[in-house]
Amino acid sequence: MANAPAVLKLRAHPLRIALVGQPNVGKSVVFGRLTGRYVTVSNYPGTTVAVTQGRAMVGAEVCDIVDTPGVNTLDGAMSEDERITRDAVAGPRTDLIVQVADARNIRRALMLTAQLAQLGKPMVLALNMVDEAFARGIAVDAAALAEALQIPVVELVAVEGRGLSELRDALALAARPHVPAHPHASARAVWAHDLTARVRRVSTLSLAYVQETLARATRRPVTGVPILIAVLYALYLFVGVFGAQTLVGFMEKDLFGRLINPAAIWTADRLIPFALVRDFLVGEYGVITMGLTYSIAIVLPVVTTFFLMFGFLEDSGYIPRLAIFCDRIFRVMGLNGKAVLPMVLGLGCDTMATMTTRILGTPKERLIAILLLALGIPCSAQLATILGILGGISFAALATLFAVVIGQMLLVGWLAARILKGDRSEFILELPPIRWPRIRNLIRKTQLRVWWYLGEAVPLFLIGTALLFVLDRFGALTIIAAAGRPIVTGLLGLPESTAQILVMGFLRRDYGAAGLFALARNGQLTGVQSVVALTVMTLFVPCVANFLMMVRERGLRTGLAIVSVITPVAIFTGAGLNYVLHALGVQF
Amino acid sequence: MSSMRLAFSSDAPAPLSSLAEGATGMVVGIRSDQASHGYADRLIALGVTPGARVQVLQTFPGVVFLCDQTELAVERAIARTILIRTAEAQR
Repeated sequence: MANAPAVLKLRAHPLRIALVGQPNVGKSVVFGRLTGRYVTVSNYPGTTVAVTQGRAMVGAEVCDIVDTPGVNTLDGAMSEDERITRDAVAGPRTDLIVQVADARNIRRALMLTAQLAQLGKPMVLALNMVDEAFARGIAVDAAALAEALQIPVVELVAVEGRGLSELRDALALAARPHVPAHPHASARAVWAHDLTARVRRVSTLSLAYVQETLARATRRPVTGVPILIAVLYALYLFVGVFGAQTLVGFMEKDLFGRLINPAAIWTADRLIPFALVRDFLVGEYGVITMGLTYSIAIVLPVVTTFFLMFGFLEDSGYIPRLAIFCDRIFRVMGLNGKAVLPMVLGLGCDTMATMTTRILGTPKERLIAILLLALGIPCSAQLATILGILGGISFAALATLFAVVIGQMLLVGWLAARILKGDRSEFILELPPIRWPRIRNLIRKTQLRVWWYLGEAVPLFLIGTALLFVLDRFGALTIIAAAGRPIVTGLLGLPESTAQILVMGFLRRDYGAAGLFALARNGQLTGVQSVVALTVMTLFVPCVANFLMMVRERGLRTGLAIVSVITPVAIFTGAGLNYVLHALGVQF
Repeated sequence: MSSMRLAFSSDAPAPLSSLAEGATGMVVGIRSDQASHGYADRLIALGVTPGARVQVLQTFPGVVFLCDQTELAVERAIARTILIRTAEAQR
């Protein structure tokens, strides 16, 4: 390694090191270990869809570390997240490349090494998950590999922090890899194949029985469908019953209803002489009595329980397996099974999921997925509200809502697939191994997401409440209710006060959901009204954040077009549902 | 690959979609037609390249197979384009 850069050197900019590698090899874990910054880590390809930067001390020098979305290739047919990585790595700002590889799969890793070598930048190869490779009977001769490539090769178990100090040391020795230039992908493959044969030994012995049995059971229809039903039922029990009923009951009725709100009202009555300020804080639309109660007592418990369960599913490697079952149904909507990833992520947050559509193959697929996310996928808070309200009414109510929403998604997706120009891509998906989630990561991830919720949602809840307060003072709420009456009361058969909830639902989906929840708890909605209101709310316009994300990803015109498709669909579906339920005399 | 000691049939390669569950073999190539939208490139990037050892894990609703150390799920139409030389008398 002749031209090793000196460790201490004066530079105009800090040394910039990019972590690059196949999807789901642990780049984000390595990033977290090097920088001390946590970025979401999960067990499926496509968790990271944007570039993240952080600082790390390497030797005596401060470096910029860049985490990138996973790539299988740097040329030919690329998805949008792969293009993001290519641009980040190939650009002049990146000084050094650390290729993170799955030790089990160095053949594929080497095909990428050959492409990275063409960039002419110094590299280090980090073989991650050597423990899992070992458990599956795979041994890689790192020294022989380093000899062949003429770059440092380091073995890692990044989740446990093993090999990280060796990686830091190796950075100083980074060199340009010696890889013959290959004109074509197939030539690269032959080279990778031959080198792999020289440095890797595979024995038939495997110690990963449990994982392999589970992996098989989750993807076969005979066992996979019962498992899916069990997972959904567990989700319902944990989020819908424990989160939305037990925890919310305690927080709303006891903590806020008996303690915080009475105390706030008592204090305000004594300390604040102005009725206006008192009302602003603790009145009907008070930031404490409504804003805080909604965000902390109603939404926080359900979001937390949801994110815990969801994180568990993410880390287990289960979610991509659903793609096998969904492929045929998704084809009807112009998508392929891979779209199950953004769709399921949408249950956490539609805004984040809109970004994840980058992993899809074609622009048409991305557009359809973004449209369907905005149309039919309830976010965590909405889902919990649905489970909380309708779960308390009857199973038939719940089934009606999901049947209507899924039916609408199929219909709109089917139409969109026919109207929009372009193609769908072929269904080719890598399945991650089934793993027992690491509790540390699960807690860290849930914590991060709950903080994100508190930082992002709570202020908006408070602003929304303040807005309602102002609107109420100026009599605008009555005007909104009056304007919405023909639709809300007439077509949908809902109480007048639902109008303001639907308006607030645009500010944040979960805010509207919490409003409906409060209404239902006070017994102001009948069974049919609950089903209709929740159906409209689920289908209705996405929240502001989701709208802005759609604009960012696809442009203002597309964003507006999506909203103008969704709004009438939501209202007419609600109206139709209301009419049919009444005509049939359904009570729930 | 040194670890493989398989006897190969002299028959013409068969599409992956025609193999039964549990069948093993070796990738010969990918039949890509003119209208292909780069799926051949994507398969190659995922390691489906000549010489790679495959094992069929599942055939319904999609085809799931192990290619080297990667577990891949593909739709049937794609499985039809992957040509495999099957191993004789395996398992």
